[in-house]
Amino acid sequence: MKENRIRILYIDDEVHNLNAFRASFRRSYEIYTASSAQEGKLLLKSIDVHIIIADQKMPVSTGVDFFSEIKDQLPDPIRILLTGYTDVEDIIEAINKGHIFSYVKKPWDEYELHNTISNAFEMYQARKQLKEKITELEKINDELNRFIYSTSHDLRSPLMSVLGIINLARLDNSVKDPNGYVDMIESCILKLDGFIQKIIEYYRNSRLDVEYEKIDFDSLLQECIAAFKPQNTAIEFQLNIDQPVDFKGDTFRISVILNNLISNAVKYQKPDEANPKVNLTVKVEPHKATIWIEDNGIGILSEHLNNIFKMFFRSKNNNKPGSGIGLYIVKEALNKIGGTINVESKYGEGTQFEITIPNRNDFDS
Amino acid sequence: MISIPDLRIILVDDNEIDLLLHEKLITLQQISRTVLSFSSANKALEFLSSNISLHRIPPTIILLDIQMPEMDGFEFLQAFDSYPSKIKSQCHIVMVSSSLDYGDINRTNANPLVVKLLKKPLLAKDLKETVGEIFKDF
Repeated sequence: MKENRIRILYIDDEVHNLNAFRASFRRSYEIYTASSAQEGKLLLKSIDVHIIIADQKMPVSTGVDFFSEIKDQLPDPIRILLTGYTDVEDIIEAINKGHIFSYVKKPWDEYELHNTISNAFEMYQARKQLKEKITELEKINDELNRFIYSTSHDLRSPLMSVLGIINLARLDNSVKDPNGYVDMIESCILKLDGFIQKIIEYYRNSRLDVEYEKIDFDSLLQECIAAFKPQNTAIEFQLNIDQPVDFKGDTFRISVILNNLISNAVKYQKPDEANPKVNLTVKVEPHKATIWIEDNGIGILSEHLNNIFKMFFRSKNNNKPGSGIGLYIVKEALNKIGGTINVESKYGEGTQFEITIPNRNDFDS
Repeated sequence: MISIPDLRIILVDDNEIDLLLHEKLITLQQISRTVLSFSSANKALEFLSSNISLHRIPPTIILLDIQMPEMDGFEFLQAFDSYPSKIKSQCHIVMVSSSLDYGDINRTNANPLVVKLLKKPLLAKDLKETVGEIFKDF
């Protein structure tokens, strides 16, 4: 059996048709024949063919019946139906029931059938390549996810040991450190850990299934504020929540989005601003929630606005470089839950993000 | 100072530095006079099974790491579950991990043998509170 030849199974109850087919095509293809659907099935158990040609009118089992029977076990071979009748019903049935690629009239024209076979084989190869590509991509994707997980995990555990050592050194006063080097080490470790946590967040966003549950924006945002307030106690937070109806959404992703945006609003304040502010406004409607996060911080250069959602993009004009991954995760998380984001910013005056998230509550009623 | 005179703490962690850190932390904070360190789940299980011959098993807290080679924290729990109740009833298991993985966290919380999950770095305050909670009726 040569690997590069097209293998064809031809099934017809009239033996002289089988012989004629063999005579015309045996030089071009590797041909197997069967005089009934039953015999054909038996043959298919031992031989992988690329193309199956079957006559429609056969006793016991018709060509269409045969194709629809083998459809599930053998989805790969391309099917061609032959018939002496041009019966529209047959054609419709063939296409609907048997996943048939082409329909050829009997008696066949040799040139036409050659063409049909060559087209069918192209289709076979394209499908096969597509399948292989899909398997390959799934494998790569899976490996990448596992890589990200184990990297972030294995990177994190020694870092936690370092933090543990720092804690212990403080507890037993065994390290003399008049210049505060240990504090510097700690702040670097925390920064690195923050980056690792972002990677884990990204990983979880890309892998975890979306789950909808009831969300109370007031308590969610109060939690966020409580978490970020210590970073800059001068900031005045204004919370404005209008939630007259229940809201259902993916808690993990929504808190990732809010945490990243509020973290930025807190981090990128002007150092000399007398009244640093962060305003959080939520409006819940039956079909969506809109959230505005507004600050009077340093703002974003207009030429950078288009790039801020790109992975590892960092705006140049600030002295507090981030990891460049926060807003990318925000965008990815919004993609997962069907939300949108808009940004308006004036350099030196402040930034406003507007996000909308579909309310999954309407499926309940 | 927690006043369980014969309390012992068993540490199970493949990371030698974490073992040392936790041992020092417990000694410094006078949480327990006896600290036993094991660098693998297997060794700890062996030690615990040898305890069966003891007349009385002292109150025990096991600080168990999740990610370990060969036998991880969950496999330890599975094996420990079949131990005689003479040993089991005296042992209180606290998981200690740097894991942020939701699967790990959920599995830990769902396990009836586990009292609590503490994050690394282990803080003296958290450990004291947990020990206090475990022995609040003593």
